[in-house]
Amino acid sequence: MIWFQFQSLIGSYPLALRGLGMTVALSAISLVLGTLIGFTLGVLRTSGNRLVSRVIGLWIDLIRGTPFLVQIFLIFFILPEFGVELDAFTAGIIALTNLAACFICEIVAAGIRSVPTGQVEAALASGLSQWQRMRQVVLPQAMRVSLPPLVGQYVLLIKDSSVVSAIGLTDLTRVGWLVVQRVPNGLLVFAIVGIGYFVVCYPLILLARRLERRMSAAHGEVQL
Amino acid sequence: MIEFRGVNKWFGALHVLKDITLSVEPREVVVVCGPSGSGKSTLIRCINGLETIKDGRLVVDGQRLGDRATNMTELRTEIGFVFQSFNLYPHKTALENVTLAPIHVRKIQRTEAESAGREMLAKVGLAEKFNAYPAELSGGQQQRVAIARCLCMRPKIMLFDEPTSALDPEMISEVLDVMVGVAEEGMTMMVVTHEMGFARKVAQRVVFMDEGAVVETGTPEEFFSDPKTDRSRAFLSKILRH
Repeated sequence: MIWFQFQSLIGSYPLALRGLGMTVALSAISLVLGTLIGFTLGVLRTSGNRLVSRVIGLWIDLIRGTPFLVQIFLIFFILPEFGVELDAFTAGIIALTNLAACFICEIVAAGIRSVPTGQVEAALASGLSQWQRMRQVVLPQAMRVSLPPLVGQYVLLIKDSSVVSAIGLTDLTRVGWLVVQRVPNGLLVFAIVGIGYFVVCYPLILLARRLERRMSAAHGEVQL
Repeated sequence: MIEFRGVNKWFGALHVLKDITLSVEPREVVVVCGPSGSGKSTLIRCINGLETIKDGRLVVDGQRLGDRATNMTELRTEIGFVFQSFNLYPHKTALENVTLAPIHVRKIQRTEAESAGREMLAKVGLAEKFNAYPAELSGGQQQRVAIARCLCMRPKIMLFDEPTSALDPEMISEVLDVMVGVAEEGMTMMVVTHEMGFARKVAQRVVFMDEGAVVETGTPEEFFSDPKTDRSRAFLSKILRH
């Protein structure tokens, strides 16, 4: 029986690979975009403009205070009502990027706030411009604090990408649902799905741990 | 070079600078002293705009602070500021610390900035420490790097905010020696310090502040041997007792 199920599973490996590819593509694209946007928002959030900081803060609270599944549904089902037609992949990317940007913004902002004011004053006193102060003095020090939680957050976001199967994207989780209809062994199928996620996430978990160890030891610039 | 006229500043309800009128001539070395909380740090932090003034006139190197025409970032490149807590960049080596602003602000070629930086670090006695990170240096060494970092910008004015207060006693003199050297080269300096030996050696004037106001100014000789006010006498008896 089990043997038969295995054979049937092996037969569906092209589908599994497609699912894995979808999960990796979704995660990679939205993490890259989310990191760029999150960094920009984090810098803006700490730039001293209260209105900008408030608006960003409100948006982040909104996103953090609602389930991701609801956010995806809102983007996928509500936006077309206003004439914005999205395919599922784009909707998934938008939702995940938004989620990533919000979490990353807070991590980056916390890192920036952890840099002592004396550092900014020293940079200010030597005539560095606002961008130079950020680039040369504040961000490198903020990154030492932010990198380990940032990589940890990536892992969480990759796992959150499984929610996009709800709008019909054939990612790893949805492949699980499809296969289990043919091979009625949920334990086996979803164990394999779990392994798929783990294979993607584990290198990042190792990287986070390594960075954390490096942060506590080193005093120089952060090198990956 | 630096001119305060009727300068006032408040922190909330606290009147931290009261009607300050004071000027510092080119190549002059002025020591500012007074009890803690007297506003002396705030006074020199106003000069490079780390604090803003509420009213009055403050003119530095011919430019009025708070004026629209005054480019604060540009003015700051002419003013070196040495902090009590050094504030070296911990992620950069000594040499990177002293070359950062010359390269990015003065737009000097990296190789040129580095050779100037090495020369300056050697001058403050740190020829062996080019590649050391701040965490690997003693307090006295860090403060000397901080002074070199300012000097590498070839400033017109140097401000020191209690440069030796955070140092262990045996490291104070190595920093003061560097400061004396800077003074003797003709730098315009304003130094907040209680190091009376330094004041006697290089200062042309001592300014005594208390409760946000300039109470007394005079040459070091006059001030130390014949203080004019009760408050300065009380202050001197406290710091010179030991």
